Amino acid sequence: MTEISTLEPWKDSAQRPYIEIKNVTKKFGDFSAIDNLSLNIYKNEFFSLLGPSGCGKTTLLRILAGFEKPTEGSILLDGEDISQVPPHLRPINMMFQSYALFPHMSVEKNIAFGLKQDKLPANEIKDRVDEMLELVQLTELAKRKPNQLSGGQSQRVALARSLAKRPKLLLLDEPLGALDKRLREQTQFELMNIQEKLGVTFVIVTHDQEEAMTVSSRIGLMDAGHLTQVATPTEIYEAPVNRDVADFIGDVNFLEGTFKGNDNIGTQLDSDDAKCIVYATQATDVDIGRKLWFAIRPEKLEISKKKPDFENNVLKGRIEDISYVGCMSTYHVKLDNGKVLKACRANRERSAEHHLTWEDEVYLHWLPHSAIVLQS
Amino acid sequence: MTRLTLFNKTSLILGFAFLYIPIIILIVFSFNESKLVTVWGGFSTKWYGELMSNQGIKDAAWVTLKVAFTSSTIATFLGTIAGLVMAKFGRFRGRTLFSGMIYAPMVMPEVIIGLSLLLMFVALSIDRGVMTVTLAHITFSMCYVAVVVQSRMSSYDDSINEAALDLGCTPFKTFILITLPIIMPAVISGWLLSFTLSLDDLVIASFTSGPGSTTLPMKIYSMVRLGVTPEINAVSTILVGLVALGVVAGSFIGKKQKIN
Repeated sequence: MTEISTLEPWKDSAQRPYIEIKNVTKKFGDFSAIDNLSLNIYKNEFFSLLGPSGCGKTTLLRILAGFEKPTEGSILLDGEDISQVPPHLRPINMMFQSYALFPHMSVEKNIAFGLKQDKLPANEIKDRVDEMLELVQLTELAKRKPNQLSGGQSQRVALARSLAKRPKLLLLDEPLGALDKRLREQTQFELMNIQEKLGVTFVIVTHDQEEAMTVSSRIGLMDAGHLTQVATPTEIYEAPVNRDVADFIGDVNFLEGTFKGNDNIGTQLDSDDAKCIVYATQATDVDIGRKLWFAIRPEKLEISKKKPDFENNVLKGRIEDISYVGCMSTYHVKLDNGKVLKACRANRERSAEHHLTWEDEVYLHWLPHSAIVLQS
Repeated sequence: MTRLTLFNKTSLILGFAFLYIPIIILIVFSFNESKLVTVWGGFSTKWYGELMSNQGIKDAAWVTLKVAFTSSTIATFLGTIAGLVMAKFGRFRGRTLFSGMIYAPMVMPEVIIGLSLLLMFVALSIDRGVMTVTLAHITFSMCYVAVVVQSRMSSYDDSINEAALDLGCTPFKTFILITLPIIMPAVISGWLLSFTLSLDDLVIASFTSGPGSTTLPMKIYSMVRLGVTPEINAVSTILVGLVALGVVAGSFIGKKQKIN
């Protein structure tokens, strides 16, 4: 039980959240950037706010940092209401999207800046700066000015500067947005290691779903000022609450239909898209005849030329398009009624052995427990 | 880079010749031995020596430097604040009116500025002298500083200030430790600009000066009315040198700022 409470504190009602965002609304004129949002974040979490641009995730981060005041609601950090505390008095630091390094100061002066504001003794500042430089592996660049650094180096200086004061909470605004893909992936793991090593609570804002999936303990999915779902990456991917969430995270196929009832397999759906009755294991508790959707991830759709030995959940179609990305291929299969479903398959054999091609007649099949039943 | 054609070269040379030959002639004849301005009588620096013994010119030069230094310093202070407000305080009430009034002296005829200031000083019965010239120069050079600072601030990343606040720095200290050092090149070039503007202003100074506050351009102008002498060439050469120095320093600092 203790195991669960340290790894997944949000499941343990006895745990006190570290940050409590209570009914926060932020209005700019008539526009509500954040609308009555409540969220608990726990100590040592790596929490991601994920959403399309304009969903209010950056505004929420700026409210946590103190650059914006909530129009309504309050924010508690470690039990203390900080809603009215100005940014320079909050034990929270932020890493900016543009890094915001001070151009007229060297790397070490940038990192020391926050410590100097706290009037720490000079030798302690020096120790802390050296420690931070080592943490981000920039010791030999200590004397450089920001304009002599590469993007990746600037990013690490910004991280070191924001961690130097050992904040209770570190906010990261699209911290890896400016880096190229390879560097970004590498830095994601560095960030996770640093977070683990220092035990600081991280809240990161990103629009990159892969990044959020990789680094987070939990993801808060935002849309139009609301949180649509707060859950672990696995839960968000495998059990999204609605079609928007399912669609935003990863690729997905939807089968629309009317609810026929539950039987020994699970939910029966009379689908117009499939032109037959399809099944999902998950039972559903709604009125018969109501509109429902099955969401099926492409990698969970089995594709084959031979008709599979299953009675249910088998659909026939024709390959219309193939997108080959090396490690796997995604097949766009057009069903007889025109509906296109995506199925992907890892390319375990080299392409010469590939036996699926355009215009092939294929069968699609999924196991009932692979389908997600969605009511909206 | 495109190559210059013969036509381009010719027009370039002619254009620059038109602009700079008069100044070159002035400089050359300031080293003329002869008293006649248009006849070359050999090289000499005697007019510069003569200048040193001319109390009137020396007094005027001293007044000019005093006025230029004081007015450009105060104009820089006020202009920097105005530039900051216009670039960073968003669309506050009356912003258009405010910026219009800041920039008006740039397009207002100098005669009008001079005349209106004169009328005001008379109405307030302020004795005209060094102080009134200085005040007049502040009013017309402040807008140039505001323009320079505003254009620097419009490309200023606000998150730099936010980062400083976030790291525990108070708003005022943030301005002193972060914003000001970053925009310092713009502030300095604004100062140099208003210094040179004040140095060679004739019209406004004529309206607003009084006894004992004749500036160098006014002195030169009054001397020329009695005929051009090599002495005037010499003092003008010095003035050209000073202004050129200011402009070159200003653009050098501006360039350095762009690199950063």
